[in-house]
Amino acid sequence: MLTIAKNLYDYRELLMTLAWKNVTLRYKQAYLGIAWAILKPVTLMLIFTLVRSFVGIDSGDIPYPILTFAALMPWTFFQESTSDGVNSVVGNTALIKKIYFPREIFPITSVLTKLVELGISFVILAGLMLWYGMMPTAQILWVPLIVLYTVLAALTIAFCGAAINVYYRDVGQALPVLLSLVMYASPVIYPLQLVKDKLLVHQGAGEWSGTLYTLYTLNPLAGIIDAFQSAVLRGAPPDLNAMIPGAMMVAVLLPFSYLYFKRAESYFADVI
Amino acid sequence: MPAIEVSHLTKEFRLGANQGLKQTMLNTGARLAGKKAEKRPQFKALDDVSFSIEQGEVVGIIGHNGAGKSTLLKLLAGISTPSSGAVAVTGRIAPLIEVGAGFVPDFTGRENVYLNGAILGMSRKEIDSKFDAIVEFAEMEQFIDTPVKRYSSGMQVKLAFSVATSIESEILVVDEVLAVGDLAFQRKCFDRMEELINQQGRTVLIVSHNIRQIERLCRRTLLLDHGKLISDGPPSVVCDEFYAISNAAIAKSIANKNIGRARFESVPEFELIGIDLRDSKGAKLDEIITGSDFTITLHVRCEHEFCDITAGLGVHTTDFFYLTTHSSESNARTFDLPAGESTLVCDIRHLPLLPGVYQLRVGISNRAGATILYGENLKQLRIVSPPDAPMPASMRDGMFLLDATWLAINSASVHGMTGAQPASNENTACQAVMASDARLPK
Repeated sequence: MLTIAKNLYDYRELLMTLAWKNVTLRYKQAYLGIAWAILKPVTLMLIFTLVRSFVGIDSGDIPYPILTFAALMPWTFFQESTSDGVNSVVGNTALIKKIYFPREIFPITSVLTKLVELGISFVILAGLMLWYGMMPTAQILWVPLIVLYTVLAALTIAFCGAAINVYYRDVGQALPVLLSLVMYASPVIYPLQLVKDKLLVHQGAGEWSGTLYTLYTLNPLAGIIDAFQSAVLRGAPPDLNAMIPGAMMVAVLLPFSYLYFKRAESYFADVI
Repeated sequence: MPAIEVSHLTKEFRLGANQGLKQTMLNTGARLAGKKAEKRPQFKALDDVSFSIEQGEVVGIIGHNGAGKSTLLKLLAGISTPSSGAVAVTGRIAPLIEVGAGFVPDFTGRENVYLNGAILGMSRKEIDSKFDAIVEFAEMEQFIDTPVKRYSSGMQVKLAFSVATSIESEILVVDEVLAVGDLAFQRKCFDRMEELINQQGRTVLIVSHNIRQIERLCRRTLLLDHGKLISDGPPSVVCDEFYAISNAAIAKSIANKNIGRARFESVPEFELIGIDLRDSKGAKLDEIITGSDFTITLHVRCEHEFCDITAGLGVHTTDFFYLTTHSSESNARTFDLPAGESTLVCDIRHLPLLPGVYQLRVGISNRAGATILYGENLKQLRIVSPPDAPMPASMRDGMFLLDATWLAINSASVHGMTGAQPASNENTACQAVMASDARLPK
């Protein structure tokens, strides 16, 4: 743990420079520049809003567009930093084969890069809140913690995925499919409250309801998205019950994922 | 304390492609069941290599393609991990392994300098302070804000070299980078390398196929062959050994496939049957002694008569550096060759080549200057020093013998000297006097 922190500190300038490179590079020759970063969540928000007008999803007392946008922000951040992180090692073959620095720099850089784009989404969120006349409360201070947790969740997949991807490129191919499945298993289109009502209040699955709910919240995104919506829109603290199973899973898996990455790291240059 | 200590270093690679998922599963299954998994054959890129390099040494690494040079550098730089054995490096190591790794085409020169600097381990402050020097050395002031993708390849390499050599590291690892840019810039690069080596006293490791560069820059050379360290010593000696190996390989490829000869053209009616080296008594020679007299005999076969031909002979190094050429034209001599076999003899006096391995080229043309036959690498000339008077090591650098003698002149006896006086120390002056006769024994 200490060596990670030390490495990160020693290579902070490289991390920053590489993240800066990724951000600038992506929008270098685009007229709209970094505005493209928000295209994805905004488009999805519009689509979901359209779909919702046929299906009818109860969004409580919060307008659906802003609720789903607040869900799409952490979701898009998680999804993109995971898939970029998994492909980051393979994508930097030239550097891997020529120069040594700790290889975890690559997945971490990917996450950092996406953090910048997440920051831009906050501008849109602020605009939407203004439009709907919502004021942030002191609960918004939870946001940095929630983002940090999302970063750790993304890194859990990115480390081990990136290492396996060096040997089997299947991972890079399979990941988008898996992630789009995870999106439906996360409260992005619908709020977590619906799941909670169904399983905990109405006991929709009989005696299995409690177990099913725990299984559902094992997905860290369930807790993250709900907590983000609560902190920003509802002015309420995160629902810790929904977060604990996912957080425990990340806490257990992240060290393994990192160790696996470090073990595989020394062979990257030979295999890649 | 040595800067680099390598002990029993071995690096193995598996031959063949990566296994598919199925094979991996089967192997894992077999291992779990306690059986031996099917293994792919291993290839030893480096085989039990040990050496140590002191602070400030400049070491060249040579060897044929695939001898393990780059693998060794990768292990030293920590890019790859040894299969067994150990590498201990004291101090920061800067890899100049193929300059320009990590240049981003869409970025401007300026952005790339910062990016590449950071990748090579420089801090932002360090780059800030060196930025102007970097740009100036690369001669890129005018283009520094243009995206690198619009640069010519020479410009890119110049900038990359400039960034890479401005790192302050104790150990510099250089892989084939000096051959960058045009002649003027190559000169500059070379000077920069010499400056790094001589003035800053850095430990430098150079991998190159340019043996002359190695001989010039390095004080010590390692020769790798098929992953083994087969020679470690002063450049001139090790490089000779390398030439010998290369020549053997070339000869073998000629014998096997009758290809690999650098250049060979001839009209179909004319054939070169053989080349002999003979001493003055007519006995065949395998080796020639520096400074001796000998003859080169060309056996040719013609299908019809060739009139008024001129013959030429030349000597070149194994890397095709032409050292000398002699043509019968200079003796105002042309030959008429009748149909059938004939022999052309070239008599050489006081061979001025220093010991080493050279190659012979032969050209035969008609009066109009059209080529009848031309070939390079036709015969190996192995030149050795005289057995009774071995050549001092200090005379091994170079190609040809300078016919000269030395004498020391005391300041007291300077009076009365005639001729040009070179710049001298206080009391001893050394002067090279061209002597008229060969200094070496016959």
